[in-house]
Parts: sequence; structure tokens; C-alpha cells
Amino acid sequence: MPQDRRILTPVSTSPSFRAEWGDALDQAYIIQFAVSAVAIVVLASVAALARIPRKVAPLNEASARAVIADELPDTKVERVWVDAAGRAAVAKSGAEGVVLFRVGDGFAVRSAPWSEVVQAPVKGEGVVIRFRDPAAPAARFQLAPGANRAPFAEVAA
Amino acid sequence: MIDLPFDPIRTAIPLFIALVLLEIAAGKWFRAKVVYEGRDAWTSLLLGLGNTIQTALMLGIIATTMLWVYSHHIFEIRMTWWWAWVVLFFADDFIFYWVHRTSHERRIWWASHVNHHSSQHFNLTTALRQPLTQLVVGQWVPWLFLIWMGFPPAMIVIQNGVSLVYQFWIHTEAIKKMPRWFEAVMNTPSHHRVHHARNPRYLDANYAGILIIWDRMFGTFIEEREDDPVRYGIVKNLGGFNILRVAFHEWIGIFQDIARSPKHALGWLFGPPGWSPDGSRETSATIKAKWRARVKREAAAPIAAE
Repeated sequence: MPQDRRILTPVSTSPSFRAEWGDALDQAYIIQFAVSAVAIVVLASVAALARIPRKVAPLNEASARAVIADELPDTKVERVWVDAAGRAAVAKSGAEGVVLFRVGDGFAVRSAPWSEVVQAPVKGEGVVIRFRDPAAPAARFQLAPGANRAPFAEVAA
Repeated sequence: MIDLPFDPIRTAIPLFIALVLLEIAAGKWFRAKVVYEGRDAWTSLLLGLGNTIQTALMLGIIATTMLWVYSHHIFEIRMTWWWAWVVLFFADDFIFYWVHRTSHERRIWWASHVNHHSSQHFNLTTALRQPLTQLVVGQWVPWLFLIWMGFPPAMIVIQNGVSLVYQFWIHTEAIKKMPRWFEAVMNTPSHHRVHHARNPRYLDANYAGILIIWDRMFGTFIEEREDDPVRYGIVKNLGGFNILRVAFHEWIGIFQDIARSPKHALGWLFGPPGWSPDGSRETSATIKAKWRARVKREAAAPIAAE
């Protein structure tokens, strides 16, 4: 059964094959890898240039509440602060803080103790809120220049 | 490497590229329901490339193991027997169902598989968003049973490739429904949208590879509904596109949990995703239970008001 034997031989581990074809095999893999990498760059560029993302309007209080209601339906939101760019929002729910922030054309939402949220360091016009979550280590909240810095100002003041 | 007379995946790569371009064109110019976000597509495609590196690195171990097992096979099965391909088609798809289901229900395998679900989009690049560690965590091992039974390793690799190629086209929103008979038997874009959903109703459903019959048989089938449009991604969506975080965030989470509480290591590894010793985190089961209770409450509310 020569055909079966050929099928069953692990060609890349056979010493005679490696001696005869090893370099060619490595070269074939490198070529295939390089061509795949080029194809990826082309496809990702076409995907970006096509400009067909989800349409997401800048956040306002109502839309922020709607996102939180979708993500955390059992959370009762007391107050919401939306950032200057409409890309993030912070909500208070008892002792819990809820932070939502734009990721591409979608959102990510994380909870943290309210005391930690309001203590996030204010640097210039931005606040970086950190989470203990390797999937979403931080969110950025943009403050309006010269405006009220609540809720962060409550602590910073 | 096992010398294949036919490699379905390599053969299909030009088709993959053409179909992605076609899907983008359909979304751009023909108003098909197609959504692409540049960084998301880039991340998905890079993970696809990373998956091929993983395969290349693991190939020696896997091929050697397959051949060793085959040297102890029980029955003599030839690649030229047509019925052997029919049996393998069902056996391979059955194993895929259970491996896939385990990938969702046990955290160690979810840590690898989560990559494929972490996009908030559902398009053909999502199909290529493949895990970087599924071979490392041994998700190929169950197929050794078929080799031990007597199926030549090349047959297994080819059938696996056929299954993967089939599963490419079902990652799209552009196709709403297939004919009823097809939806009844085969995995389709509609069934697979449910599988990629993060809505509580749809969690942990439709694990099928090619045939949806396994989900129907084992109680994991859920139909897509127009009154509950699918939201894609994972229960807690990722906070960015950093490829290393996308690929390894769940592994980092597992290691952090074990470091914090080593006596619960087995639970952290083999419990369902979201498991914690004190029950303070949410699993799919608790999310679904809360959702059911909420639906029941809301349905009862008008009656109570009367």
C-alpha cells in the first residue's frame, strides 16, 4: 500500500525527508506565512476603508442609562455623568460605580466600588479609571475644559 | 506534518479572502446587513495568523501522537472506502460538538476559546478569529479515539479541515435564514449568530459544527428570535484591541485567581467560566436564572397591577 504509507508518514519528522526537503519546507512555510500576512493587511485595510461600522452617536445621559440597563439590568442607577467627548460615562448605584466606555463602535462596561471611581486621579482634562480586570484594565473619562469636575471633583476638591 | 493528499483549509484560503471582500462589498454597496470595524477586523485576522503559528509549533507533537496511536489501531479502515467517510463525517461532527461544548462550559478550555467570541461583531473575519492555545490545552486529543478505532490520521485531518471550512460561511449577518429543511438539519448563519450572542436568552447554545442535530438531541438548541436581536461578544466585553490582552486575558485571570486562592485551583481551572468559591461572580447559569426571574417578574407585573 504505497499510497497509505505516504499518507501515514509524518514527513516533517522523517530524517531522510528533512535532509532532502527540510529547507524547502521551511521556505514554503515562510512564504505561506508572508503571503498570509500581506493578505491580512489588505483585508484589514479594505475593512477599515469601507467605513461600514455600527453607527454610534456620542453618549448622553439617556443613552448611557440605556446601555447600562442593557448590560446590568438589575442595577438601579442614581446619577450619571457623561464625559466631554461622549465616549464614556460614570454612574452611581449605591456604593457601586458603573463605568461604560467606547471600544471601537461598541461599549464595554465595568463596575467598581464608587469610592475607587471618584478617587481616580484627575490629570489635566482626563481621568483614568482603573479596574482589577485583565480584559479591561482601564477606562478614560474626558473632562470638559474648565467645567465642573464632578463626580471626580468631589474628592479632588 | 502528515502528508495530505488534499488539504481543505489551504485549498479554501483564496475562497476565504474572496468571500470577506464580497461581504464587505455587499455591506458597502448592496445594503446587506454587514458591519465591519477596522481594528476589530485587524484583531480577528491577526489571531487567525497567530493560530497558524500555534499549529506549526504543535504539529510535530500532534502528528507523532496520532501516528503512535494509529500504530495500535483496532480496525482496518481504508481511505478509499466511501462508507468510512460517511461514518467519519458523523463521528467527527459529534466529537466537535462535545469538544466545543466543553470549551464553553469549563474555564480552562474557555480561556482558549474565548478569543473566538470576544469580537462585538459577527462577520467573516470573526470566523478567522481563532484561539492561540487550543492545541496547547489538548483540544485535539478526543479525535485520537477515532484514530485508535482505525481511521487513518490523514482522514481525521482532512475531515477536520472540511468542518472548519464549512464553519467559515456561517459567520455572517448578511444571510438571514436558509430554507427550512436546511435550518432543521445543518448549522446555519442564524443558528451560529445565536451561538455568538451575549443576550442571556442565548447563552451556551448551538455548539454545532456542521450538523445542528446534536444541539437538538442534547437540549442546547435555541432558535434566533426577531424580538430579541442578537448582541455579539462576551458577557463582559473587552476594553480594547491590544492583541495580547485579547488573546490571553482569561489565562491571566485564571493565574491571578489561582495565585490569590491556590486551594481552589481545580475550581478555577475546571469550573464553569465565572465560577468562584463564594459564588460572588456570575456564570452563564446564574445570568440565565436572573434573566428568567426578571422575565417572570415583568410578565407578572401587569397582572399584579390589576
